[in-house]
Amino acid sequence: MASVKLTKVKKIYDNNVVAVHDFDLDIKDKEFVVFVGPSGCGKSTTLRMIAGLEEISEGTIEIDGEVVNDLQPKDRGIAMVFQNYALYPHMTVYDNIAFSLRLQKVPEDVIYEKVTNAAEILGITEYLLRKPRALSGGQRQRVAIGRAMVRNSKVFLMDEPLSNLDAKLRNQMRAEIILLRQKLDTTFIYVTHDQTEAMTLADRIVIMKDGYIMQVGTPEECFDMPNNLFVAEFIGAPKMNVLKTELSQEGGKYFVKPFGVKLEVDGVKGDMLKEKKVPAGEVILGVRPEHIVLAKEGEPGAIPVVLEVNEMMGSELHLHVYTEDGTRLIVRVPTIDLTHEQRENMVNGHKLFITFEGKVMHFFDPESEKNLLV
Amino acid sequence: MSNENIAELEKRKRGMGLKASARLSNTIIYILLVVISIIWIIPFLCIVLQSFRVESTWKVGYVIPQQWGFDNYVKLWSTNFPRWYLNTFVIALVVAVVQTLIVLCMSYTLSRFRFKMRAGLMRFMLILGMFPGMLAMIILYRVLDDLGMTGENMLPGLILVYVASSGMGYYVSKGFFDTIPKSLDEAARIDGATRAQVLTKIILPLAKPIVIYTILTAFMGPWGDFVFARYVSQLKPLGMNVAVGLQSWLATDTMTHDYYTLFCAGGVVVALPVAILFMCLQKYYVEGVTGGAVKG
Repeated sequence: MASVKLTKVKKIYDNNVVAVHDFDLDIKDKEFVVFVGPSGCGKSTTLRMIAGLEEISEGTIEIDGEVVNDLQPKDRGIAMVFQNYALYPHMTVYDNIAFSLRLQKVPEDVIYEKVTNAAEILGITEYLLRKPRALSGGQRQRVAIGRAMVRNSKVFLMDEPLSNLDAKLRNQMRAEIILLRQKLDTTFIYVTHDQTEAMTLADRIVIMKDGYIMQVGTPEECFDMPNNLFVAEFIGAPKMNVLKTELSQEGGKYFVKPFGVKLEVDGVKGDMLKEKKVPAGEVILGVRPEHIVLAKEGEPGAIPVVLEVNEMMGSELHLHVYTEDGTRLIVRVPTIDLTHEQRENMVNGHKLFITFEGKVMHFFDPESEKNLLV
Repeated sequence: MSNENIAELEKRKRGMGLKASARLSNTIIYILLVVISIIWIIPFLCIVLQSFRVESTWKVGYVIPQQWGFDNYVKLWSTNFPRWYLNTFVIALVVAVVQTLIVLCMSYTLSRFRFKMRAGLMRFMLILGMFPGMLAMIILYRVLDDLGMTGENMLPGLILVYVASSGMGYYVSKGFFDTIPKSLDEAARIDGATRAQVLTKIILPLAKPIVIYTILTAFMGPWGDFVFARYVSQLKPLGMNVAVGLQSWLATDTMTHDYYTLFCAGGVVVALPVAILFMCLQKYYVEGVTGGAVKG
């Protein structure tokens, strides 16, 4: 059992800056939870409080039902992988991984077995006699993971472990972390500012901003039903298009009129609006770039736009367009859906038409920025 | 000649001008450095050469001996010099060990720990350190005298005085420790190390340059001290260190007449171990100073 429970955890620094406000979270045994948010949101501070590297100002942290507020890091049953690897430069890879076991006075033959097993799983056996400075970034990160692995700890903490790697290596290591998770079968708490990592790795995501929890949910929940505008814009790449518009009701149906084009809010979102009895009025309308489709001129619901920038991403185009009133939107179009002629026409200044269905719309209160359908 | 050729010629002239001016400034710099080196080396060279002079024991008007020999070095050991050397060595060694321990612990604490009055304490030590040690000389002498640690019993007294202010010399070491990432400490603590184990197993092996620098500077201070040692020794022959003892051989014209070449030989014997130590460890010394200087 390795559950982690945070109850009203608060962190206040000496200059009265509150870094984390009333953090409440229940992490189940073997769950992979990701804390994600922009820089300075308190995610690393929270992780460090769990690790025992930061004092907890208020609240309690329990690991396996035991309050650990006053316990030293080494007594909490945790292992940690740092952003900058934190490998001991004067020790070989073998000694780095064996360090914690030697402190526990584990016999050398047992140490040898554990270290070589971990090295084999991570593919670093041939580097065991090297020093960290002779390793690449990815190799060092694997050694850091190996050092944490051999401790057989209850909870695995990872503080932005992939931030210092290039994009290609990050993708590779992400896959390896998923495989590692399957092998270790333990509780993971992972911190990142990259929402892609959060979406791909997590069982549940905790999205933070300015020390507050914005939303806790599965990647699907956070993507499909963001609690508020911040979560909606943070999750998803490119970020959600948002604009202010009027939500109106006619004959029991809901309509929006972005850029002067009347669109019915049909499907599941229409039903939800009715269920929640959302009043007509000004709303913030959100639509994800991948949910906007190209339309033909004259088609019902077609919104005229002008192409400003065309980003070729390989399998899709990211079209930066602007409407007649100057509002900028981003549209994701799979290249496979385009004819050769259409692709040739995707040049700056080209006039296009776009549209989107009711079921992909998100509605937020213009003042509180909360999702009207949650 | 075409415009392009003229432009090319002008460019080449300018290049040559630059090279010539760089050569001239380098030449001037090197001449200056050679002159300064000669000025620095000459006194040492004179002392060394005079130490091998056996035709007379007094000051002479020439540098290169007429007769060479090791007589002065042999005679040294039949004077109080060995006692002075032992006094100095014991004081320097004890101070080096104790001061190094205190400085490193102090520096590590100030680098790694955050506690109330930390900033105030550092500021206080900085201001206190600006006052010359000479100001306290009289009162320190009174205290040591009352404790019976002057004259021939000056050894524990001097050790006490040199060691007492050790903590204030933390600047360079703290600067060096600041360059070692704190995440190493944190990783070690999570791995199960106590604070002491973090210091001994992780930080100190990485801090070899600053440890050597601290030992060297802690050793050198007492080794070369004259003013305070003279005061505390009360000029008792067995209570002197090498600096005071050698100076006593030049106290009067009569003594200078008899002991000048012996003085030179003593100077060489005092300087030699430290010179060798520095030559062997200079790489670490420079690393220690510059490493600490980066963050300060």
